Amino acid sequence: MNQGGRFESTVMPHLDAAYNLARWLTRNDHDAEDVVQEAFMRALRYFDAMKGSEARPWLLRIVRNTCFTWLEKNRPADVVPLDDSEEGTAQAAAAADFNTPEVILLQSANRKLVNQALEELPAGYREVIVMREIEDMSYKEIAAVAGIPMGTVMSRLARGRELLKISIENRVRRAS
Amino acid sequence: MNMTPKNGQGGEPLVARDATYYRAPDALRARIRSTIAAETRRQSRPKLWTWAGMAAGMAAASVISWNVALMQARSGGDDLLEREVASAHVRSLMADGHLNDVISTDQHTVKPWFQGRLDFAPVVNDLAPSGYPLTGGRLDYINGRPVAALTYRSRLHVMNLFEWPAANPGETKPELVTRHGYALVRWKHGGLEYWLVSDASGADLLKFAQVFAQ
Repeated sequence: MNQGGRFESTVMPHLDAAYNLARWLTRNDHDAEDVVQEAFMRALRYFDAMKGSEARPWLLRIVRNTCFTWLEKNRPADVVPLDDSEEGTAQAAAAADFNTPEVILLQSANRKLVNQALEELPAGYREVIVMREIEDMSYKEIAAVAGIPMGTVMSRLARGRELLKISIENRVRRAS
Repeated sequence: MNMTPKNGQGGEPLVARDATYYRAPDALRARIRSTIAAETRRQSRPKLWTWAGMAAGMAAASVISWNVALMQARSGGDDLLEREVASAHVRSLMADGHLNDVISTDQHTVKPWFQGRLDFAPVVNDLAPSGYPLTGGRLDYINGRPVAALTYRSRLHVMNLFEWPAANPGETKPELVTRHGYALVRWKHGGLEYWLVSDASGADLLKFAQVFAQ
């Protein structure tokens, strides 16, 4: 199979995942399309280097990096450094998932509200939540894509979820 | 939403149920496919200028490629050639010193400069009286071969005129196409293939072609 054919069969199936991540990071359709196109161009260029690695995390890493480069250039305010001081605490990640009344409250949250809350999360938290919860990726994969240790993935997930929960609760409260 | 507590791995999603999964639009998918097809075709050609071009400016190149992809895909060979010609034009303008290897408004200086550098004699006309002064020339690499690139000005616009021996005999009239904002005019005359490219208007390019061929 030629290069185009191999690219089609291994990388193209992950276009939706690529677009979803880019759309959540850029927060609009037009920019997401631009970023994904550019990322695919890069992916094609470095396709030979993919050998042996899994296509989805490999591609998403390119998409993710293209997104952040784009954000740094076009919306630097979106790329705030995160405080990972408590990173490595897997417990924190677990703690945020417990079945609390606050979490149950989220069940009544509608899609628009969740989308808004997630969109407003700092990009560093947003990306791990999107990969974990919307894309259903493993911690290991997320760590590879975001270029951070697994412990940081977990602590960012924990904090991101916490922030998201608070944001959603506030929205639900305001709405009712 | 399943509310099972998470134990570190494989927990239940908190927002997945309610957050949107954005799927790639079909138009994007089609655009990417056509770009990949064009790129892989291009990569199967001699890589000399391809990689030089990439090194020259990946960012700009990708902007162009995407715009190229936006255009309706035409039949392979012409499409590729238009793309190469437009890219060569853009590259020539990218940095100081790319445009001309020989800087002269004198056709009698420019034409001899190509001697020994090409396996054909390019036609060099000065069209200053018609409003298109010659500004110089250089070697470029298009369609898998070294070609002559002559540069002209049309008011503030730079024009690149590429020339190389035609693959098939015959003459063709100037024909205009546009490629990501650039106008391209091609014609065949006296055994040479000509490609003129610029961000000047298509009408301007057609006029140039007409005057040049006279």
